[in-house]
Amino acid sequence: MSASAFGRIGVIGWNTFREAVRQKFFNFLVVLAVAMVASSFFFRQFEFESGELRFIADFGYGAIFLFGSILAVVMTAQLFFNELDNRTALTMLAKPVWRWEFITGKLFGVAVLLAVFTAVLTLLLGGILWWRETLLMTEYPDAFEDGRLVSYGGLLLFGLIQWVKFCVVAAITLFVAGFANTNLYTVVVSFIGVLICQLQYVAHDTWQDVENSLLQFILQIVGLLFPNFQMFNIGQPLTFPDSGGEIETAVPLILGYGVVYVFVFLGLAVFAFRAKEV
Amino acid sequence: MNKAQGNAPQLTPSAGPFAPDGWLRRQGLTFLVAVVVLSLAGLCLRPVHDRAWPVARATLPETRVHDLEGALGQGVLLAVLGGFRAIVADLVFIQMTAHWEDDNREKVESLIDVATTIDPRPEFFWVNGSRIIAYDIRHWRVEHLGGREQVPEAVQRRINREQAERALALLDRALEYHPDEPTFLLEKAQIYANRLKNKEQAAHYFHRAWEQDGPYYAGRIYAVLLTELGRHRDAYDFLRGWWDDLPEDDFRANKALVLERIRSLEDKLGIPEHQRLPVDRAPRIFPYQQMALPVAPDQGEVESSD
Repeated sequence: MSASAFGRIGVIGWNTFREAVRQKFFNFLVVLAVAMVASSFFFRQFEFESGELRFIADFGYGAIFLFGSILAVVMTAQLFFNELDNRTALTMLAKPVWRWEFITGKLFGVAVLLAVFTAVLTLLLGGILWWRETLLMTEYPDAFEDGRLVSYGGLLLFGLIQWVKFCVVAAITLFVAGFANTNLYTVVVSFIGVLICQLQYVAHDTWQDVENSLLQFILQIVGLLFPNFQMFNIGQPLTFPDSGGEIETAVPLILGYGVVYVFVFLGLAVFAFRAKEV
Repeated sequence: MNKAQGNAPQLTPSAGPFAPDGWLRRQGLTFLVAVVVLSLAGLCLRPVHDRAWPVARATLPETRVHDLEGALGQGVLLAVLGGFRAIVADLVFIQMTAHWEDDNREKVESLIDVATTIDPRPEFFWVNGSRIIAYDIRHWRVEHLGGREQVPEAVQRRINREQAERALALLDRALEYHPDEPTFLLEKAQIYANRLKNKEQAAHYFHRAWEQDGPYYAGRIYAVLLTELGRHRDAYDFLRGWWDDLPEDDFRANKALVLERIRSLEDKLGIPEHQRLPVDRAPRIFPYQQMALPVAPDQGEVESSD
């Protein structure tokens, strides 16, 4: 890839990002996600002995996962099909812009958008946890004899891992958009794909216990074709290191796993887009 | 167009998905390449996955894979809810308490099951759920059949046994998620002792709870149950072996009470003076142990089990 290719990808990505942040949907989603993370502080009254800080963290993880997944799928599809519907893609591809540069630029722009989103929510969650933990330390000093319970470095690491997962989701959406004809179809199929990736671990864990050979084969195929998104849900042991386990050893593997799948689905998106009528 | 056709539009055969320019032919190559590439990626990343997954897996609640349908249901719940499962489980449990106020047995039992399935981590759901099933629902069922005065004792005993067994089954599920957790072992012991009057099993579970660093009273009750079962020697050996490990400055250990029971067993067993437990000084008596605690009047429970 030449420097000019990087330049073109960067320009497309930056314009994609600028277009995305102007979308009302993005702003609405950010406000909703921030409100939900902040509301975890009030919902803590409903927690039943699972630990207030863990409950707040759990709630925050849920908000990041839910809204991040929605943003990754919907915004990616919307930004892609906007280019096609407004014929700006046609104009762009008439210039010396390769199709793979166009797709890569789109993914790059969405990745920056998701990074901003994930960083905002992670920092907000960290702020709430810090504030609440400080209050608890004042109220119950005996429970914090060994120092703070929350690992804020681990929380930031979790945010990074979630960003990589959302990039995989965006790459999957771009792949689907490459052969789909409509925005709606892309969104629906992508969400189904995300759900399958979330459930992949059930197929992986249970195929050996199934007696039906056809079902066993199907579960094996699902376990092979789809990435395991549950691998990215390691917020608790990262944020609360006393949960046990050696999660730090797995973090580089999980990040590498996600990055490889980003490139795999990006490659498939480029392949699918090669024959698409623009 | 000829004059016979007039101005009718010419109909052409529609190009189906299998036509040379159909969408299946056009996209077929894309799907094929996707399957091949993803399969290769899955195979190449399998070593990475197999190294990282067991570590990440340990952080997830155990998937019950006894039947695929159950595992899928639980998997879907976990996948869809993600981090929200804690709040959803809490709200389900709160909803259960609303039905508990109405003595709605079916709703209560099903919502206890749902709450513990969605989020099996909190002990609160399991403990209170099992208590409701074992102690409350048995009363409701008898009341719905006409009350304790009307319902035959054999029927009451059957209901008591059924509810106790359902509660024990719930606690067995809890122990699958929280192996050897003393809280659940204690609950099982209490149900065997109070509902089923099975002192053997109760003693077994109090002992197991004590072994898992459970509360001091678990050990004391274990010794009492051994005594009631006529196993005085076993009770004495247990308390005697435990005595040295009991702390002096923890009122919960109640060392004075343990000494009292050791002395009582020494008298019962006729242990010679020189073989009895030597105590250099009397254990500390805490202020609360000298108070006359209020005792609830005996309500004369009509309970017995087969």
